[in-house]
Amino acid sequence: MSVALREPGAVIEQEPIRSRRGIVWQAIRRRPSATVGALVLLVIVLAAVFAPVLAPYGLHEQVGPVFGPPSWQHPLGLDDGGIDMVTLLMWGARISLIVGFAATLVSMVIGGFVGVAAGYFGGKVDTILMRITDYFLVIPDVPLMIVVAAIWGPSLFHIVIVIGILLWTSTARVIRAQVKSVRERVYVKRARALGAGHMRIVFRHVLPQVAPLLIANTVLTIAVAIFDETALSFLGLGDPSRISLGKVIENAFERAAISTGAWWAIVPPGALVAVIILSCSLIGGAIEDALNPRLRVAHLSARSFRLRPLVGRSPESV
Amino acid sequence: MRGANYVIKRLVFAVLTVFIAVTINFALFRLAPGSAVTNLARVPHATPEIRLALKRQFGLDKSKWQQYVIYLQQLPRGNLGISFANSQPVSSNLRTALINTLPMVLLGTIFAIVLGTLTGVLAAWRRGTAAESATVTTALGFYSMPTHWLGLMLVILFAGVLPTGGMSNEFLINPPFWAHVKDLAEHIALPSLTLGLVLYGEYTLIVRSAMLETLGEDYVLTARAKGLKPWAILRRHALRNAMLPIATLVALSLGYIVAGAILIETVFSWPGIGRAVYDAVLQRDYPMLQGAFLLLTISVVFFNLVADLLYFKLDPRITE
Amino acid sequence: MSALLELDDLHVWFDLGDGGELHAVQGVSLALDAGQRLGLVGESGCGKTTTVLGLLGLLPPSASVSGRVLLNGENILAGGEETIRPHRWNDLAIVFQGAMNALNPVQTVSAQIVEALELHHSSSGRAARARVAELLEAVGIPRDRGDSFPHEFSGGMRQRAAIAMALACNPSVLVADEPTTALDVMVQAQILELLDALCRDFGLALLLVTHDLPVVAQLCDRAAVMYAGEIVEQGPVDALYHDPRHPYTRLLFAATPDLQGNGVPISIPGAPPRLDRPPQGCPFHPRCDRVFSPCPTKHPPLRRLDGEREAACHLNDVPAGVTR
Repeated sequence: MSVALREPGAVIEQEPIRSRRGIVWQAIRRRPSATVGALVLLVIVLAAVFAPVLAPYGLHEQVGPVFGPPSWQHPLGLDDGGIDMVTLLMWGARISLIVGFAATLVSMVIGGFVGVAAGYFGGKVDTILMRITDYFLVIPDVPLMIVVAAIWGPSLFHIVIVIGILLWTSTARVIRAQVKSVRERVYVKRARALGAGHMRIVFRHVLPQVAPLLIANTVLTIAVAIFDETALSFLGLGDPSRISLGKVIENAFERAAISTGAWWAIVPPGALVAVIILSCSLIGGAIEDALNPRLRVAHLSARSFRLRPLVGRSPESV
Repeated sequence: MRGANYVIKRLVFAVLTVFIAVTINFALFRLAPGSAVTNLARVPHATPEIRLALKRQFGLDKSKWQQYVIYLQQLPRGNLGISFANSQPVSSNLRTALINTLPMVLLGTIFAIVLGTLTGVLAAWRRGTAAESATVTTALGFYSMPTHWLGLMLVILFAGVLPTGGMSNEFLINPPFWAHVKDLAEHIALPSLTLGLVLYGEYTLIVRSAMLETLGEDYVLTARAKGLKPWAILRRHALRNAMLPIATLVALSLGYIVAGAILIETVFSWPGIGRAVYDAVLQRDYPMLQGAFLLLTISVVFFNLVADLLYFKLDPRITE
Repeated sequence: MSALLELDDLHVWFDLGDGGELHAVQGVSLALDAGQRLGLVGESGCGKTTTVLGLLGLLPPSASVSGRVLLNGENILAGGEETIRPHRWNDLAIVFQGAMNALNPVQTVSAQIVEALELHHSSSGRAARARVAELLEAVGIPRDRGDSFPHEFSGGMRQRAAIAMALACNPSVLVADEPTTALDVMVQAQILELLDALCRDFGLALLLVTHDLPVVAQLCDRAAVMYAGEIVEQGPVDALYHDPRHPYTRLLFAATPDLQGNGVPISIPGAPPRLDRPPQGCPFHPRCDRVFSPCPTKHPPLRRLDGEREAACHLNDVPAGVTR
């Protein structure tokens, strides 16, 4: 890109992200693995959202024997209650995704707030908030979730809150770093000099810059939230009145699906969770990489520079 | 001593964090509503004498604040109460459980580190090729699998070939040494393999990222300009420098592994710390739960400290 | 008589992500005799560093190279990495920019110099450590500082250490890529003096890459001016200053502040062209103050002028007085 005409004293402004709108879409489109992941995720979400309409059978409808094997009418077989697995998966994905999104929302709100406050105000506020974050980081999440679920009792609401409370730390850190760098940019300083209030600056200038990274972090957090929910359900701490994918696995495990040889009751739900988490990871990773400005030249690599045949002699002397 | 300041700061932070963890632990378990959780003396099948002794030891009839102080005093003595489930001291239960967990976790972690490093270096070395994308996607794939589900898959795959439950065969009475070793090895295989597979993906990504960083550094160009062969540069300059972030991130992850082992031990009925937590939840064995949670939190703090000190040791630039 | 080091029609292309190509170096030819000093000058991005990296075979995998690099008559570029590597450090050594992280931060300075010595079998063990002490002294670093880490040195001392390392295997050519650019003015002068003394004492040929003309004037006999990947003028430094045959050369010298305060330094308006879409005609013509009819359409070839000079400008084809 050509360098702007320089006059002594001119300030080179770093371009605000307004011109980089759509960077999230770009990042996903550019990387094939992320595009595939996004499409797959879309399909799954749609299937889950429209489960009441799309599911081939009823959620509580017994259509065959316990652990009935896969057949043409039931490509994934039946579970321990004779219920069609495909139906179960669709409804299960619904709950799992709801928990994932809700917990992520909680963590995003907390983490975003903490991160913006710490990054924007700096100083004492920053130190205190970061100390708190550090302490939260140290608490092992799965045990804490187990303990809280055990003490408070399992319910969807509790699960969501517990997961959300544990996941906000990574969001906070990421946001804080980004806010700090944005705060120093010329146009933000100018807005402050012109007397714009803090809230206005945060919403108009800081947040749009922070948005792409926040999106990446959100997607990755959803993945972790779903994983955590699956783990909790497996340990018997999930909401007993709702069927999530984790619950499907737990039911099968409890009812000795393995010794009965009913692999179809266990493999598909876990595979679906894995696919959801993988898709989220690919998408989030693609966005993060796109935002990372450090494109390092590999000074060392398996391949080497290539040789080409001689171009032709340079013009002779007069 | 170089960076004595740094070491002391990290130590203080660790101690402070343990203190806060202990406090949170107390808050969670003793301040919960209802006495089912908070009453440590409600050990079923315990004699009235034991109940009374516990009441006195933990000051269960005193104010919450006094209980807190007593709790802090009892901790260094290793007194964590009596388990509701087997009426044994929580600390000895935990000790046994920890001893059972460690070999399995260690094996799995070593496997994960070795495999992760190999694949991570490969991915960075062959950057931009199909090999790299395949390696990274596979790593992500395994990383995305729910731990317990992967364990169950391995059970399905290997049922009949390898034992899928417990630490050893209870029906083997007084087996000869090698038979015993073989039996233990067979039992530890699947759980540690599960752990290894779930973990390695994260390490692949860490190693790859660290290697890509170092491979782009100027001193790698200098090494190349000096005439060093690629392998020598990789080993002596790239890998050696990448060890910094790798070692610290690995050390950090160790703290959480013990927590993740909960799922594996549940699937494979492995009598370790994770299983202890699960059983404690099932049986509402609150003293055990409290003790286990404390132990897990302290292990995370411990490994964080190890990570900090490792970083300090490996990087000569830290002096403050 | 063949020169010690010769670049013959060197081209370097870089692959761009979307299938395009950047023609970073376009047919550069240079010659360096033993003990001679050549300055390679130009703005940032003109391709001088790429040229030098290409000559040492240090380009990334996204690069393609053509041309010949003749070391004592032998084309070391012929087999790519494999034919170049044996000559690295033994014959051709390089010192990078001072700001770069050119020294490994987790190894001591002497360990890194010993690595070079042992690699090329110059010496090992105790002999190597003695040689390291010798080298450090030659560049003005106290012997006992060898066991320090790079971050414990100041910028200037780090650069000296890098120079000491470059000399370790007695090369015949020393390439210096912007060796003083990131240093303080005082330190700059010291490093330049050091380079001057070392090249003289050890009979080294010097290829100095820089955008800083006074540096070239101080150290070099000859200079080659690069613009947009090409050499636009080459010749003795004095001649380039007093009688430039390319408008860019003239403007470059005019843009350099004169300590005596004569005249106002002017900046050259505009910007260098994009190298992924080769422009028509002379690459400098949009910014040239002497542009005339053939410039926008016909690319001026690099023509040999009297004796040791070359220039690529249509003005040299026209008898003086016609276009003034």
